[in-house]
Amino acid sequence: MNVTGSDFTALLPLIILAVTAIVVMVGAAIRRSHALSASLTLIGLAISIGSLWIAAPLLPRQVTPLLMMDHYAVFYIGLIAASSIITVLLAYGYFEKYEGSHDELYILILVATLGSAVLVASSHFVSLFLGLELLSVSLYAMIAYPRRRPLPLEAGIKYLVLAAVSAAFLLFGMALVYGAFGTMEFGEIAARLARPDFNLWLVLPGTALIITGFGFKLALAPFHLWTPDVYEGAPAPVSAYIATVSKGAMFALLLRYFYQTGSHELEPLHLVFSIIAIASMFGGNILALLQNNVKRILAYSSIAHLGYLLVAFQASGDLAPTAVAFYLVAYFVTTFGAFGVVTVLSDGTRDADLIEDYRGLFWRRPAIAAIFTAMLFSLAGIPVTAGFIGKFYVVAAGASAAMWSLVVILVVTSAIGLFYYLRIVVALYSQSTQTPATTSLARPGVVSLIFLSAALIYLGLFPSPLLALIHRLMPGLI
Amino acid sequence: MTIVFYVSSAVAIAATVLMLTRVRAVHALLYLIVSLLAVAVIFYVLGAPFVAALELIIYAGAIMVLFVFVVMLLNLGEETVRAERALLAPSMWIGPSVLAAILLAEFIWMLARGGVPPAQAVSIGPVEVGISLFGPYLIGVELTSMLLLGGLVGAYHLGSRKAPHTEVTHATHP
Repeated sequence: MNVTGSDFTALLPLIILAVTAIVVMVGAAIRRSHALSASLTLIGLAISIGSLWIAAPLLPRQVTPLLMMDHYAVFYIGLIAASSIITVLLAYGYFEKYEGSHDELYILILVATLGSAVLVASSHFVSLFLGLELLSVSLYAMIAYPRRRPLPLEAGIKYLVLAAVSAAFLLFGMALVYGAFGTMEFGEIAARLARPDFNLWLVLPGTALIITGFGFKLALAPFHLWTPDVYEGAPAPVSAYIATVSKGAMFALLLRYFYQTGSHELEPLHLVFSIIAIASMFGGNILALLQNNVKRILAYSSIAHLGYLLVAFQASGDLAPTAVAFYLVAYFVTTFGAFGVVTVLSDGTRDADLIEDYRGLFWRRPAIAAIFTAMLFSLAGIPVTAGFIGKFYVVAAGASAAMWSLVVILVVTSAIGLFYYLRIVVALYSQSTQTPATTSLARPGVVSLIFLSAALIYLGLFPSPLLALIHRLMPGLI
Repeated sequence: MTIVFYVSSAVAIAATVLMLTRVRAVHALLYLIVSLLAVAVIFYVLGAPFVAALELIIYAGAIMVLFVFVVMLLNLGEETVRAERALLAPSMWIGPSVLAAILLAEFIWMLARGGVPPAQAVSIGPVEVGISLFGPYLIGVELTSMLLLGGLVGAYHLGSRKAPHTEVTHATHP
């Protein structure tokens, strides 16, 4: 059970993330500089992505019982690290306008990213829980980061309480599954589940509690109550991080856990997942109709999007991991784009999160309005955008498993969703008396927005390179 | 030994329920300590004396003392002063004492029978725990250290009392 040199190489992406966090901390201790901390973080994240190619030839590799470094993990680590780069770019422009020191934020982002990377690579309950806690503990402080304003503090405390409760559910569930099988390794659990002589009355409640814990993190209905408040209160780049990296890593883990152990095949759980998916799709889309706050609308929209993903998850064919991976990439790009617009438009006093802030934006800042329109269309799943291809694959996965009721609900709720996205779009283009804005926007944020819109259109028009990549990487999962 | 396990479990559940239903924080903490002690006895009976000792030292010892200090240092004004005077009333300490006495009786009974034959044949001591921590769970230990780092940085930022505009001064004095 010794860790060898090849194990270190396979773990290089994670080790670099951890080292970067320490380097940024030491850097901040020597010299407090927002620009220095942000650039060190960016360099570390870039090296971590680069090291994926060094690690790739050694894969798949089980590094101690805790971590399974395979192509599936590498794909999601790359996605997570790239998303963190976008977060850092957005956060730099956003926090530059606030007084105070911001070096701690980058350490927290790095630790949270490390946690997400551990989550997508974990093959053991211990690494699952540690990854989750790394992510959550950093997120508490990231949400409450502007600590002199009441709204972020409130959001931070809400997230702290609810995430702690959900972690307790998850732990209890893991304890029950451990009680039934005497092992915490996913592979071992799969082997025991295949034999019929286990105690169903420990496994079933245990799995249900694990689903509850996952559901809280993924903000699936009926565990979604914290989402709008936290999204609204958190600084916009942090909201983007929660909506994408935190949820994406959790979903990748959900897929790995259930597909590897096969516990989603347990009979009553089909029904449970269907009910959660339907509740999320309806709840997210209908509640979003009632909102006037763009961040809250995006929060409810993310609940609905996770519901769509759950449809693909349930399809459980070969198509499912592909559909989930592509949908997550499209969803990451789009959500970062939407929150990125909110970020660059926010000034030093409050976030630009009311629909009123966007009325007539096209006449003031045509480029930003056009980008926001593209992002909203992608969230709604309109063709030419990445969101359309993603939704197409989810529907295809659902249809291939003949889950017609779920697919029909997906289409119907998407149509409902169109309404609130279009409401923002209408506000963007409505006539306004304001003159074109003269102040310039934060450059790193604008650069990342341009990159995101290019990615959005590229994935919408030419999805095949990414699909080919996913096809090459995903079969290792099951 | 099964009877010891069940009695300790009952004590743990009773203490936790009483803790949750207390109004005063200090009173609730007393029950929480008893609950943790009962869990330590359960660990001991299950053949994990090392974990039982850790449970005592870390939870019932260090963390609880920290809790009690925080509650007392918060200095919540007149109301608390009056409440503290009532702290020594029998209604406050008699419940936790009875539960703790049950645990003590169990412990003496076990000692009188000449130590514990663990429920299973194996007894997990410090050596086994250390070997597995620095063998298969090595990465877990490392990740825990990163977790502490993240928590520390977050707590430092949220708790720092410096006014924002003075935060850069120490950079000029290397």
